[in-house]
Amino acid sequence: MWDSAEGFFGSYYIYWISVYLFIGYGASLLTLYLSGIFLARRSIKRTKQRSIFLRAEDVVSATDIPSVTVVAPAYNEGLTIIENVKSLLSIQYPYYELILVNDGSKDDSLQRLIDEFDLKRQDATFITQPIPTASVKHIYKSRKKKYTHLTVIDKNNGGKADAINAGVNFANTELVIFTDVDCIIEQDAILKMVRPYLEEDDKEIIGCGGGIGIANDSVIKNGILTELKLPSRLVPMNQVVEYIRAFLLGRMAWSEVNGLMLISGAFGMYPRKRVIEVGGFNPKTVGEDLELCIRLRKHMEEQKIPYKVVYLPETLCWTEAPSDYNILIRQRDRWARGLWETISLHRDLLFNRKYGKMGMLYYPYWLLFEFGAPIVEFLGVICLIAFGIFGWINWPFAILLSFAAYLVGCVFSTIAIFMYIKSFDHYTKPKQIIELLLAAYLEPFYYHPLLLYGQMLGYYKKIFDITSGWGTMTRKGFKVSKS
Amino acid sequence: MRKVLVIQEDIIILKILERLVELNDYECKAIRSLDALNIEDQQTNFDFIITDILFEGIAPLQFVAQVQEVLLHKNLLIVTNMGQDKIKKEIFALRGVTGFYAVPIDLDEIEAIIQAY
Amino acid sequence: MNEATVLFFIIIIFSILVIYWVSITVSIIYRRRRTASLTQIELTFADIVSRYLYNDPKNPLTLPEITQTLRDVGIKEQNKNNIQYLIRLMIRTQRTILGSNFYKLQKLYAQIPPHGVSIKKISSWSWYRKARGIREIYEMNQSQYFDEIFKYRNDKNIYVRREAQIALVVFLGWESLRFLPYLKRNMTLWQQIKIVEKLYDHYPKPELKWLHRAYKTEKLFGKKLLMRIIRKYELHAETDFIINNLNHPDYEVRETAIYCIQTFAVSTPTMDYIKRLYDEIPNATQQGQLLNYIYENSDIDLDFYLKQLYGTNDDLKLSVAEILWNNGYKEKVQEFYYQQYPNAVLNVG
Repeated sequence: MWDSAEGFFGSYYIYWISVYLFIGYGASLLTLYLSGIFLARRSIKRTKQRSIFLRAEDVVSATDIPSVTVVAPAYNEGLTIIENVKSLLSIQYPYYELILVNDGSKDDSLQRLIDEFDLKRQDATFITQPIPTASVKHIYKSRKKKYTHLTVIDKNNGGKADAINAGVNFANTELVIFTDVDCIIEQDAILKMVRPYLEEDDKEIIGCGGGIGIANDSVIKNGILTELKLPSRLVPMNQVVEYIRAFLLGRMAWSEVNGLMLISGAFGMYPRKRVIEVGGFNPKTVGEDLELCIRLRKHMEEQKIPYKVVYLPETLCWTEAPSDYNILIRQRDRWARGLWETISLHRDLLFNRKYGKMGMLYYPYWLLFEFGAPIVEFLGVICLIAFGIFGWINWPFAILLSFAAYLVGCVFSTIAIFMYIKSFDHYTKPKQIIELLLAAYLEPFYYHPLLLYGQMLGYYKKIFDITSGWGTMTRKGFKVSKS
Repeated sequence: MRKVLVIQEDIIILKILERLVELNDYECKAIRSLDALNIEDQQTNFDFIITDILFEGIAPLQFVAQVQEVLLHKNLLIVTNMGQDKIKKEIFALRGVTGFYAVPIDLDEIEAIIQAY
Repeated sequence: MNEATVLFFIIIIFSILVIYWVSITVSIIYRRRRTASLTQIELTFADIVSRYLYNDPKNPLTLPEITQTLRDVGIKEQNKNNIQYLIRLMIRTQRTILGSNFYKLQKLYAQIPPHGVSIKKISSWSWYRKARGIREIYEMNQSQYFDEIFKYRNDKNIYVRREAQIALVVFLGWESLRFLPYLKRNMTLWQQIKIVEKLYDHYPKPELKWLHRAYKTEKLFGKKLLMRIIRKYELHAETDFIINNLNHPDYEVRETAIYCIQTFAVSTPTMDYIKRLYDEIPNATQQGQLLNYIYENSDIDLDFYLKQLYGTNDDLKLSVAEILWNNGYKEKVQEFYYQQYPNAVLNVG
């Protein structure tokens, strides 16, 4: 085959250019990941040391701390909404409000809330709306004194971002937290999340995120996670490893160099003032969390105000991950489209000195390695097949190299798992650790190709302008143990 | 014998309060969460319940309301780390709370109350 | 690169993998043992403290018994982690108690190990150890080391200087206001909160002469700190200092002033003065906050509200309209909105 292809014009150059491009890309990624490990390690150590001087129990007794509103949008969550709201209400923080936004649900969510919490309709004539949203129908507050912290906004459907914006409009606290109504938030999460704001020095904190964990098959009682179990199925199990790696290594490393461009939509805290200044979430993109974070950063750069986006290594929020590969693919397809839209929306950042490191380093990284990785990988597969057909590949060598690359991936996952179990006591049983490691080692053969497929599907839809919204994310629901 | 129920997650405060109560000739049940209550406790009419308001899985106001609903008692004293004026007002708005003490506390005050009873 | 090189590379990576497997195993075993040991120490300490504070005459707790019990659970000089954990428990307990029991605890702490551990940390090169040392010294009220700590009040590390500043308050009380508002480096919100808390817990009786002297400070954090102190102690006679900062050019100073003034009710002339300052606040959100305060703490001043209703900011107009609407001036609100949307352009009916 090689002989027949030899005559092809430039085949030699095509082969070697491709090889060097892939090796260069892989080596750059490897270097970045290695640096990430060192940065993340330093960041986790520092965060832990700092937390000694500002413990959650210090914050809980303090006065003058900022007030916080949790904004949770809900759409057709009737089956679980009461449990979920009770869970969110139980978060421990002295100056805490919960705003639940019913985003035009078609089920009986609102009626259930009215019945359970004895809600009374408030006059909504004079609501200020600094961020335009779909119209708000009514505001509800509880007649029961034990639920004074709860507000329910009933509005016409406008999507998740729109619902959150309505919550931000109504909130009157300094800080706002955005979460999904079905997330289980750790009881002391806000006490920990406000730390960076309390310790803000010369740089304003414009966003703070916390680790997110997967709680499929875990036991929930009274809205809190009483027994963390590993998911029984491989797809969510792989996501446990993926989240540990992403949050503990990736986000912490970027946090250390103030290069965070994303705070997960499942759990993030922002100053309300800044969110309003930038006009809230963008309802036109499905990657609204990434887009908001980038827009906030841009805003601060344009105002020339020193700022920071920070991450806490602790897992503060538990969520249910897609339990089968169909839902997983839909989720990653959506994420890929969100990334595409955001990258395209903020393309003016690329190598723009006006935006400092964000323009010169962080945005190019996202473009090249977050947005570009699936494309490079996809091209890699095509090249592998084509070069194989042409007989240009030295198979024994290629297999050895692939095995080496596989082992490097295993090392990264192992380090992440090691750092996680060393720092936190969520997974302590040997059986759990072994399962996690095995899932990590199997990932490239089963889970990763699914991710690649989902991502490429998202890009394909964007290229050919195939309309697709959030899609349905069917959840199995947590195991609820009745007290 | 007069009976007191102490509910505190912090083991040190729990032990101190338990000791304080016992030395003042009360029978004391000291627990770290409501889960530790047995059926007999739920039928006892406690002379005092001395409790925190910060417990896993339940909002402070809801917890107080639950204690008031579930447990028979004559006096309810709150001893808590989350002792801001705002919380104090909200707790008293629930009615039926005898006293609210924010940490740091002067234990002599609590002793005086149970001695005077 | 040839196959041998790749093979060598694989061996190295695999060795790293094995090292991490071993580390994970060690970590699991260590964590399990450590957790059990810490629980044991905590339980023992809780028992000792409760028995010491409320000693049963029939079964008294003696000092040798305390020392021996602590040793039995691993509180030994060579076991630094356990010692550190004990110190943490001691501080945690001391911070929850006031009155005669506080002094009893101090007496107990002076007699049991560890001895002189904290002062050794202060000379450490690590900011972490140094800051911890300072914290332990002021929490345990070891005032003999005050001079050692004083020099760190402007340290370049935020944690070291914060702990040193809190120590200043614990040891000097109100007199510390001689220094605090004039420090070289910025003070974070948490520093301010801690300072006010410590001052309040340890020195509940205000000494106004120090406060008045500190008013001269030009440092923004100093102004914020003083306002928080006035608020915490509810010093009604000192509210002028807060009010005069309501229209301060700095956003955060204004924010603190608006937050602190909400604790106080003021006289009608003072409220009139606040209403005049209201127009000088350059931020609509802060104006909104002050508007709420004015509304909740004074009678309806129609002229003031109408002036705001015909102002420029839509959100503020809406808030003012709501106030007027709910307080018997519906016709004024209707008049305003009819003026905004005259019948000629309204597509009614």
